[in-house]
Amino acid sequence: MEPIRYVDELNRHYASQGHPPYQWTVNESAPLTALKKPRSQCTVSMLTSGGISMCSTAPWDPMSRNDHRLDEIPSDVSSADFQIHDAYYDHSDADEDVNCQFPIDRLREMVAAGELGSIARRFWSGFMGRIYNRSKVLQESAPAFVAELQKDEVDLLIAVPA
Amino acid sequence: MGLVCRVAEEAGIPTVCISTGRDLTEQVKPPRSLFVNHPMGNAFGAPGDVDMQFAVLRAALKLLETVESGGQLIDAPFKWPREFRFAPAGSNMA
Repeated sequence: MEPIRYVDELNRHYASQGHPPYQWTVNESAPLTALKKPRSQCTVSMLTSGGISMCSTAPWDPMSRNDHRLDEIPSDVSSADFQIHDAYYDHSDADEDVNCQFPIDRLREMVAAGELGSIARRFWSGFMGRIYNRSKVLQESAPAFVAELQKDEVDLLIAVPA
Repeated sequence: MGLVCRVAEEAGIPTVCISTGRDLTEQVKPPRSLFVNHPMGNAFGAPGDVDMQFAVLRAALKLLETVESGGQLIDAPFKWPREFRFAPAGSNMA
């Protein structure tokens, strides 16, 4: 099947919810940094924007807008220890198996098998959608996040938007 | 999310983005993206489908070796077994 046209769908959905029109970011080019070592030696972290939180922390606001909250998730957490709150996608399968959207067990197995070097000390959940003040992301939230990745000596970040 | 990947790469950390929203990702242009035409929420497949979860992860990690210019969006070969639609939770509410 053809990919869903989310921009059109979301524009209609936001309007139906009474939100102001969303000014989509359109970039014409992108930076690129090469891996500095073989994957089998890399320390890997992962970021989800799917409203995923540990059961011991507060649920995400499923309708969040302009939410710059960022959760750090200890990378040895059990994959059963999550809750998902996000009104913008169907997470019923991910509720049952978080690896559908945030494959932490698979990453740990790839480390055990030697395909990846190690898992960083922390995984991350944040940067949910509908952030209207994007300059704050670019100037504050994202650089602060990257500084945390650097503290954990992350060589490679896997990002899973939802 | 794509913006965050761009900031990370500018700071020297390579990233790969696993997207289920092709048009959304095409606009934001993260440095490297794998598009998986699965429902949003099933980027890595179905619950318990360990083989698919690995396959998507490996396809994404492969981009670290094959992508040579920023902003590439690669279409993964995986097919979801059923038609699906945009499904915000609100659309299922009364």
